[in-house]
Amino acid sequence: MAYPYVSDREVRILSRNFGDPLARRIETYVERGGYSALKKAFEMGPDAVTEEVKASGLRGRGGAGFPTGVKWSFMPKEPTKPHYLLCNADESEPGTFKDRELLRWDPHGVIEGVLIAAFAIRAKQAYIYCRGEFFETTQILAKALEDAYSAGWAGKDIQGSGIDIDVTIHVGGGAYICGEETGLMNSLEGRRGQPRVKPPFPAAVGAFGMPSTVNNVETLASVPHIVNHGGAWYREHGTEKSPGTKLFCVSGHVNKPGNYELPLGFPLMDLINDVCGGVRDGHALKAVIPGGSSVPILTAEECEGCTLDYEGVQAAGSMLGCASVIVMDETTDIVKQVRRMVQFYAHESCGQCTPCREGTGWMTQILRRIEEGRGTEEDLDTLLDMSRQMTGTTICVLSDSAAAPVVSSIHKFKDEYLALVRRGERVGAA
Amino acid sequence: MSDVPFKNPGWAGNTGEFELDEATVRGDEFVGERPLSGGHPSGAATYPYMLPDKDPEAPLFEGPFKERFEKILSQYPTKRAAVMPALGLAQEVRGHVSPEAMDRVAELLDLAPAYVRGVATFYTMYNKRPVGRFLVQVCTNISCNLCGADDVLEAFLRYTDTDLGETSEDGNFTVVEAECLAACGFPTCVQINSRYYENVTPSSVPEIIEHLKATAPDGSGAAD
Repeated sequence: MAYPYVSDREVRILSRNFGDPLARRIETYVERGGYSALKKAFEMGPDAVTEEVKASGLRGRGGAGFPTGVKWSFMPKEPTKPHYLLCNADESEPGTFKDRELLRWDPHGVIEGVLIAAFAIRAKQAYIYCRGEFFETTQILAKALEDAYSAGWAGKDIQGSGIDIDVTIHVGGGAYICGEETGLMNSLEGRRGQPRVKPPFPAAVGAFGMPSTVNNVETLASVPHIVNHGGAWYREHGTEKSPGTKLFCVSGHVNKPGNYELPLGFPLMDLINDVCGGVRDGHALKAVIPGGSSVPILTAEECEGCTLDYEGVQAAGSMLGCASVIVMDETTDIVKQVRRMVQFYAHESCGQCTPCREGTGWMTQILRRIEEGRGTEEDLDTLLDMSRQMTGTTICVLSDSAAAPVVSSIHKFKDEYLALVRRGERVGAA
Repeated sequence: MSDVPFKNPGWAGNTGEFELDEATVRGDEFVGERPLSGGHPSGAATYPYMLPDKDPEAPLFEGPFKERFEKILSQYPTKRAAVMPALGLAQEVRGHVSPEAMDRVAELLDLAPAYVRGVATFYTMYNKRPVGRFLVQVCTNISCNLCGADDVLEAFLRYTDTDLGETSEDGNFTVVEAECLAACGFPTCVQINSRYYENVTPSSVPEIIEHLKATAPDGSGAAD
């Protein structure tokens, strides 16, 4: 029973249940040792759990890569107000499709992680913010959660420990920006999902004005394994600064796209050529976006020698983000794809900050003009100038994310832009 | 769902190495039939599926839906937080959220009507006007686009004989462009009502449309 895409170079920890429908059932999950980490966590106590996660070096899998244990330790130790744990399952970054797979193949693994994290930050209520489009996935999760309640693994007095943790599924409304942690909190509170100014940080003033922690699905799914086997075990995979395994979502022009769980620090070219069966139809590689649409594009040359860990990708001139590797072969029209990405950001801008609200729209128009052969060379300077004004000037980083592919593509694929501009000029002159 | 006449190659791959049937992959059997009243409160906002038989005149928040609304209210520390699940519930019953439905939500949650409209218009999934029985959302974002999503979108428009965002004359289809649906490894991904169709190519579009017509609640197209 194999998941459609497997490779013998994978280290299947999080993805061990992918393709196994029995794992959704609570009986099977418990039989295979599920929820033992939760029991162990209750025995260890919240601070010891946080220390263990700190020791594992687990970094947030939602894109920023902030150490999870450190994030948890920001929460007040003596709760005077209710605490909330928020699980970010609003997966919408173009190129990313790992959380959906985790939720539908291993819902109990995620629920167990949520419960342990809630226990560690002393929260009695956790919310799983599920993306609205995930109807099927949310149904599977809801059924699993219902089973967990019936079996006494969630709710009041979990397994006679005297600990109460309620878990609620909140369904989103289809807004990318709600994947930003403060936007998510606003959305949960029944507001428009517009990000908030930080500080105050969520650990001080979060959801409903109370101390809160937001963690990604994949981060939380890693927690039970760390609690079970210890932080030192987790460090056996990955690199010194980026320990552990990570789900890599490979899409675009490869022969075998899919989710692959690999140790961090895996060579990018091995991922494309070996694990994913190479670029489709024997075409040559042109460019790779290594971390979802919000990060700079890498050229084929830059991909050589690039390793997939937070530091390695940064050294190559991009960011690991949520490890969504989008592969483009030589037939790709870079300008069109950049325009499509910026159009996405224009659609998803929440409209709070002027540089983002206006900038993303203008950029889309200019890029479309260039694409249709009506652009000028000055347009490229205008785009770069706008990118400067859109970076670091807004509440959240959506605007920076829109600018990143534009700037990197103009610098690295200027010939393509110029060819379109000049072709347009020739047509105009004739 | 197991009698679906076409396979979902997106999931199983075309290589035949993956032997699960579609219902198992989708978890249909695992999830089973969900009660309209929403089962356990923890998941009350998530039930049931988005249905093709929509009644724009149906009463809001009555019978099992009232029960579900009460469960939703019990999940949050504030009444305001129930606004999104309540809008979702209204849409589930009626297929879209009309100004009147938004006002009703505002009344129930002690919010200003303008506030609820502000929230509803922020989120793309709340249909502010009626849509067809089948809302076809074609992802055209980068990963799908690299693999030919524009052609799939065009095929859907051609075979349903509609313009982007408009509803077909028989009331069956509304085709819109969607942003990334988080199924980038199975391009092109198309969401039709609550279900994802993966690895859709222009040539598989007619088959999907015939299948949908056959399952339309009024049976339109079932005979041909």
